[in-house]
Amino acid sequence: MYFFLQIALSGIATGAIYGLIAVGYSLTFMTTKALNFALGMWVMFGGMLTYSLNVQYGIHPLIVLPIVIVTLFAFGLVAERFSVYPFLRAGSDVWVMSTLAVGFLMIDLAEIIWGRNPTPVPPFLGKNPVYIGSVSILPQQLLIIAAACVVFLGLDFFYRRTLLGKAFRAVAHSSDVSSLMGINTRRVEAMSYAVAAALAGIAGFLVVPLTLAEPQLGTVLGLKAFAIAIIAGLAAPRGILICGLFYGAFEGLVSGYLYTGIRDILGFTIMIVALYLRPEGIFGKPQEERA
Amino acid sequence: MSLRTYMKWLTAAVAVGSLVAIGGAHAQEPIKLGFAGALSGPASFVGTEIRRGAEIAVDEINAKGGVKGRKLILISRDDEHNPVKTVAQYRELIEREKVVGMLGASNSASMLAVAPIVNDTLKVPVICPATDATEITENEAMKQGRDNYLFRVGMYGTGQANFMVDTMVKKFGHKKVGLLTWTGGWGVTGRGELQRRLKENGLAPVSDETFDNNDTDMTPQIIKLKDAGAESILNYALVRENTFVVKTKEKLSNGTPYVSAWGIAGPAFWKAAGTSAEGVLTSTTVTIDGPQTPERTAFINEYRKRHNEEMSAAVFAVGAYDAVYLFKTAMEKNGFEPDKIRAGLENISEFKGLVKHFKRPVFTKDRHNAVTEEDMIMTRWTDGKLLEVKFDDKGPYVELDASTKKYIDKATMKLM
Repeated sequence: MYFFLQIALSGIATGAIYGLIAVGYSLTFMTTKALNFALGMWVMFGGMLTYSLNVQYGIHPLIVLPIVIVTLFAFGLVAERFSVYPFLRAGSDVWVMSTLAVGFLMIDLAEIIWGRNPTPVPPFLGKNPVYIGSVSILPQQLLIIAAACVVFLGLDFFYRRTLLGKAFRAVAHSSDVSSLMGINTRRVEAMSYAVAAALAGIAGFLVVPLTLAEPQLGTVLGLKAFAIAIIAGLAAPRGILICGLFYGAFEGLVSGYLYTGIRDILGFTIMIVALYLRPEGIFGKPQEERA
Repeated sequence: MSLRTYMKWLTAAVAVGSLVAIGGAHAQEPIKLGFAGALSGPASFVGTEIRRGAEIAVDEINAKGGVKGRKLILISRDDEHNPVKTVAQYRELIEREKVVGMLGASNSASMLAVAPIVNDTLKVPVICPATDATEITENEAMKQGRDNYLFRVGMYGTGQANFMVDTMVKKFGHKKVGLLTWTGGWGVTGRGELQRRLKENGLAPVSDETFDNNDTDMTPQIIKLKDAGAESILNYALVRENTFVVKTKEKLSNGTPYVSAWGIAGPAFWKAAGTSAEGVLTSTTVTIDGPQTPERTAFINEYRKRHNEEMSAAVFAVGAYDAVYLFKTAMEKNGFEPDKIRAGLENISEFKGLVKHFKRPVFTKDRHNAVTEEDMIMTRWTDGKLLEVKFDDKGPYVELDASTKKYIDKATMKLM
């Protein structure tokens, strides 16, 4: 039982990271039907920035966090303006490539700025494990699970209770009608991209003490998060969190009871099967035809 | 003397003089050594250390008058860790630049690609300080009894696995050994080698775990190893993965002794893992921490002076330094023809190098690995330093400094 609980809990902690990143895909998809395919690299950027501010300049994590959020939000606005908007306006799908291009640009820049050697960032709440019964978990992992829940509750509140959030949903439903109703759809589109970037920044901030600060830190995380966003349904943010937690636990259990080598094979196979059976995702609502 | 006779003599004198001058110029023409390896990209630290180590040796030799009066120069190329480029650069350096000896590249794949070409057509001796794939030196040419141009002063795969297993089984008395290896290239080879050596010792791994490149949490693997009763865990992985392993072990309060192949035998590991790395063992050929010979100390100081930083992978720098001196020794004995240098390398009966003082032939026709299992060392990460583990009647110990000896508890690897 200890074995099961320990690996499931460690897996859930990893899953919370996936969920946190995956929701970023959902944000932009809902408003523009476009995705930032390089979200993993934005996670890396947030993580590296955290490393710089916290380790190199000794700034307290609580001050680092808002700086990371604001910086990535701003970068998100700029990147959207130059790498997504021009193509969306032209009705082209080139954003698939251009968002990735921005991501690879970020990796190369990060290598120039920070070098390639993996460097540690101390966990914000110390490195002594917390025990729940006999099962141990790192405070940083608890922090990530908690943060994931807070972010999702926050998003829920944002979508349902705030004017901008309602505008997001309206644009998600129909950009043209929203525009006619006086919503600045252009602004909503840009904002959704920037909010997704900021969320990726938060994920990077939280995850970097568990991984190591290095330019490759987000690439695979971003890919796995994408799989989760697809399995859950790009239009179902809450489903993404649940799916992320389950996917993390699933990974841990496969490694534990079967064999590490087949873990990703199983994971991505599930993604393909899920896409085939429910193209809109497990939690997504089938899209009705729009006039 | 008539004017005509005088002119004759003068012409003759000028002719002789210019011949001498040509001869002199020939004597002054430098001897070229080549290096193609990663000088950019993630593995650039390997190539950089090789080049830096070799440069120190070249400059030292030149300052003392060169080899038989001729200066050495080192020509380096960046192969970007890409075997296709390595092959092209070997051709360019040997055919156009006429280098007479090469320093091995930074990755085994490059050397495996280069080896048959070097032995079949290029025929210039290569000494590898870094790459550890066994087949680089134990290649087709050697098996067929032809001239083999590939030599090695670094670690080699089979030997390292033998050394790791034998040390744990025979010297530490651990009969229950678990494996934890990476599912990628180096890890797969290493896993096979460790399994083979355990079998040769009449043992099998009590648990044989693997991990993926992207695993940051190794909880399932560590628990399974512990449940299987592993007395020590042997591993093939690099800095990143080893960091995640030791952090996971710490999280689970797991104290099982942990032994890695030489991927973490440099300060990058301590930098990444910090105190979680305390007590981790790694096999290697050289460590520059702890008490050192005067020659090593001089080298370390020279490196610091030139680059204003510590070595990131001393094994490669030290190996490359020795490789250049091995070339020098062979050239002094046999001249500058590449084939003669190759023969000369097989005929060095004693060599006082930085890797170690070889009191037997460095290479023989059948053995092109300078460092054998007997020369490898086990080291222990101790408060940020990689200290050699030595053995006496009372058991394994490390020397914190010249006068402080600390014994190691075999069951936990903790200092007593």
